[in-house]
Amino acid sequence: MKRAEGERQGTRAASEGGSASTRTFEDPVVLRARLADYLSAQTGATVTVESLVKFPAGFSWITYGVRLAGFAQAQNVILRIGPPYGLFAPYSAMPEFESLSALQSSAVPIPRAFLASDDASLLGAPFFLCERVEGGTPLPWGAQEGASLEGARRDAIARDFIDALASLHEFDWRPTPLARWSDGMTSDNAALRQLEFWQGRFERWALRPHPMAHRAFAWLRRNPPKASRVAIVHGDYRLGNFLERNDRITAILDWELVHLGDPIEDLGWAFLPQYRGGTPLVCGLASEEEFLARYEAGTGTKVDRGALRFYIVFSLLKLALTHMAAARCFEDGLFNDMRMPAMATQIAPVFRQIAKILERV
Amino acid sequence: MNNSLPRLIDGMVATLRKEVIPHIEGDFARGQAFGVIYMLNSLKLRASWSNEFLIEQLRALEDAARELDGLGAAIPAALVPGKCAPREAPAAAELEAMRDQGDERISALIEWLASNRESVSTVAAAHIEAAIDRYLHRQLKWELSTSAKPMFVEISGGVERSA
Repeated sequence: MKRAEGERQGTRAASEGGSASTRTFEDPVVLRARLADYLSAQTGATVTVESLVKFPAGFSWITYGVRLAGFAQAQNVILRIGPPYGLFAPYSAMPEFESLSALQSSAVPIPRAFLASDDASLLGAPFFLCERVEGGTPLPWGAQEGASLEGARRDAIARDFIDALASLHEFDWRPTPLARWSDGMTSDNAALRQLEFWQGRFERWALRPHPMAHRAFAWLRRNPPKASRVAIVHGDYRLGNFLERNDRITAILDWELVHLGDPIEDLGWAFLPQYRGGTPLVCGLASEEEFLARYEAGTGTKVDRGALRFYIVFSLLKLALTHMAAARCFEDGLFNDMRMPAMATQIAPVFRQIAKILERV
Repeated sequence: MNNSLPRLIDGMVATLRKEVIPHIEGDFARGQAFGVIYMLNSLKLRASWSNEFLIEQLRALEDAARELDGLGAAIPAALVPGKCAPREAPAAAELEAMRDQGDERISALIEWLASNRESVSTVAAAHIEAAIDRYLHRQLKWELSTSAKPMFVEISGGVERSA
């Protein structure tokens, strides 16, 4: 297995995933054969792919449910492939793989990570394999609009959701291989490092000048909070990115934006109105007060409300930039998914939300 | 085109919604069709027939008027089309470029202010920031008032949301 020195979030490995002719992952028949060859070579056993089903969801990584024979670790696995035309391409599989590997010993419910590679000659793009965990995904924009999360069920899921976040932020990453991600990060520069990263993405994705983005960046640069500590930040912690079964969260998913930083960043993202499922509750699960009280009890750390406001503005800006990425993807003709231009229409509404917060401070 | 653009879009949307989508198999494919409807609705609020298309029609009229005018008294003057091609009407791309240049300057001003706060008086900085914020507010208000109603539930689920 090639474990490329895929850089952290700020500088993803520049694997373009190969030309159209090498996009193995687009042909299910070829993909099955290449995956079986790869797994056989990695394990020394004869591994065959019994079935391969593409999941329709997702804007970024392509996800397959795969049933294997001869793979000792699991029969049902998830194959995630980062296509060269994805929303945040170019991709590296390493952040997700390395973080899931490091967190195996934590209290965070996650799938077991098996293998990963950034070598595009294998399947046509970076990929990783992990355990297939049972469960369903409540979506913030689902037809039910949060109606499916109610009463005791909602309370139970809320407890798991908050506790998992507290466990993630309490996890000591320093004795793990993730220590090499830190690269001089401190409580003082964690916020500014993230701003630099997203400023770079803004410059890459914007199709036209956006003064409001500059306004938000300028405000954020002027008001960076000092982190209480440097922790693993999931980067996309919200309703829609976990599996749930029998009122319990079975796995936290979608770790592609994982990085080291200020843990309050994850709270800022989870608090966004976009993920409230049509309710006033954080991620459709708990009131802001309940969320913060449980999180503070779980981490033993008081959440600085000023830092939380900073990260809500930052999260809104990230969301606007993600919509710019969608516009860029579609404009460049990389693919014709109609969700991309639809997402791009949301840049202005998100900017308006930022402006409203800045008016109040 | 003989129909108005808004009516054409309404017709396309209604056809997709009533005649096409109910027969599409699969949530994802139906979601994509709802995405098409959403983008058509967005276009309806911002698009018009292109200036280039209309100006060419007006130029043809104007040339015909000049030719007819040259034929002298044989034709009653009231029946000859007037000069009607506005030579100066800008193409949408030119307007877009002008807007982008302006926004680039506003963006640069924001960055300049952020880097030079110490050399600008507090009052002046507040005035500059207030002017910028008024501009941003006006642009965002215009953008939002000309945006179609989002359809993300339909696009992600492939099912029409009940009214």
